[in-house]
Amino acid sequence: MNDENIVEIKNLKKGFDNGKITALNGVNLIIKKGEFVSIIGPSGSGKSTLLNMIGALDKADEGSVSVAGYDLTKNKDLSEFRSKEIGFIFQLHNLIPNLSVVENVEIPMFERSMSGKSMRNKALKLLEYMHLSDKLTRKPTELSGGERQRVAIARALANDPSIILADEPTGSLDSKNGQMILQRLKDLHENENVTLIMVTHDMNVASMAQRTIKVLDGRIQN
Amino acid sequence: MSFFSLIVKNPFRNKTRTALAVVGIAIGIATIVALGIITDGLKASTEETLKAGGADFTIVEANVSDMFLSKVDDSYVDKVKNVTGVDDAVGVLTAVQPVGGNPYFVIIGMDPAKLSMSGMKITSGTQFSGDGKEVIIGKVAAEKLNKTVGDTITLGKEDYKITGIFETGDLQQDGGSFISLKNLQEMEDKPGKVTMIYVKIKKDAKVEDVTKAIEDQYGKDITTISSLEDLQNVDQGLNTIDTASWAISLLAIVIGGIGVINTMIMSVYERTREIGVLKAVGWKNRRILGMILGESLVLTLVAGLVGTIMGIIAIQLLMGLGMGGFIKPVYAPDVFLRAFIVALTVGLIGGFYPAYRASRLPPTEALRYE
Repeated sequence: MNDENIVEIKNLKKGFDNGKITALNGVNLIIKKGEFVSIIGPSGSGKSTLLNMIGALDKADEGSVSVAGYDLTKNKDLSEFRSKEIGFIFQLHNLIPNLSVVENVEIPMFERSMSGKSMRNKALKLLEYMHLSDKLTRKPTELSGGERQRVAIARALANDPSIILADEPTGSLDSKNGQMILQRLKDLHENENVTLIMVTHDMNVASMAQRTIKVLDGRIQN
Repeated sequence: MSFFSLIVKNPFRNKTRTALAVVGIAIGIATIVALGIITDGLKASTEETLKAGGADFTIVEANVSDMFLSKVDDSYVDKVKNVTGVDDAVGVLTAVQPVGGNPYFVIIGMDPAKLSMSGMKITSGTQFSGDGKEVIIGKVAAEKLNKTVGDTITLGKEDYKITGIFETGDLQQDGGSFISLKNLQEMEDKPGKVTMIYVKIKKDAKVEDVTKAIEDQYGKDITTISSLEDLQNVDQGLNTIDTASWAISLLAIVIGGIGVINTMIMSVYERTREIGVLKAVGWKNRRILGMILGESLVLTLVAGLVGTIMGIIAIQLLMGLGMGGFIKPVYAPDVFLRAFIVALTVGLIGGFYPAYRASRLPPTEALRYE
């Protein structure tokens, strides 16, 4: 794997329902370190499946996927990879409802052998960065949609990942909150030099990235 | 936030479901605790009876299923007295009759000359002297029946005059009475029979030697009991209670375990998406397993605590409803230990399957779960 590349995918195939549905059909893709890439395509095109493959949430049927030096097709337990290298942002924030904002941000750090104090300090710093210092003890249900998504971004950054994977991060937000979240992600990419891969079906959102990859019927369109 | 505090917090997300699960398990635990306290009370009381008045051991009929159903020919009293090492022996007949509000009023028939061997202390009046219709009643019985020296009580079909009030420290005896052996044998239509024989040995004799000598000579008809373990070999009543206690513990584990499985599976179903997120942020399978199993243990430990309190309250209520004159509850640590071991077992058994299931959930499927 080339040192400049953080993602290398070769001839990736993935099907569901015992092969009746083909989600990815021979995908080849290289993403460089520090790139901001958007993946665009209609519903069912396979873009979210591709993102899940890069994040090691699903396994390939054929082909190879290497991310941040990990061969995802060979490694069996990929929880350490996800914990160290990946930060996920979902369309729905997926915060834990009975935990406070700061506790939600601490959740990924449990696997990093950090003391309770270090975890709390890190979470406070991230929430300050997301302008949420005044909402630390609030429960997710007491926040607006935009605020919840900012908590989710803080959670994704908790373990200093090398790649942020965002699946329709503005999909459930109004345009004002959506713009704010996109700006946060862009700032993050520029200031922290983190690789950002964002799935969207909105061309305007996709245009904010350095490179746009189009997925249709499980293949990347040139 | 620590992992431990997360585990403690999670079971209380759905308070109604958790409360119902806790009550379900707690009822089983309360039964174990209450039964344990009663069983220990019965054992302690029986042991006190065996060692009444400083008797070194007791003799009952051989092969009897319950000590109080024993019938020994009173000729054995003199035979036992002649065994080497025996200092004294006295035959005792016991009966239970309803007196006043107490359906289990204990009447003990004993030779008036040997009353001192029962270890009693007369606190008021005097002991009965012959075979007249006289009785001495225990301190607890006097309080419950509201009787004092000079009053009469009806035993069998005849009135007996109370000549004294005694205290032994044994709740069954203090809640009952002593009359002459002859009177009780007539009343119970058991002429020449006693329930047991109290034996006191000489200072230089050994209990093992004397009991062996008696067993060797008369073992066909009678048997000696020098400890609670001996009694349990002879008396099936205590063994039955012990077996019932263990059976209820097992039942509590099964029923409680099913309750925990149900509660935890519901909890895992509801949190499927959340478990997907935990996997996505890098949680290992074993941490998810540990979290769900931990939640199950928290649930059952709370149930253990609630059940223990419920069991103690139930015992207090039973004592207040009249059982107090019959059994003295014994709050032994091993009863509470057993209750918590049962609670922990229920938690581990009931929590394992839901925890395993949660830990094996594929992350993408969990995240797609609606």
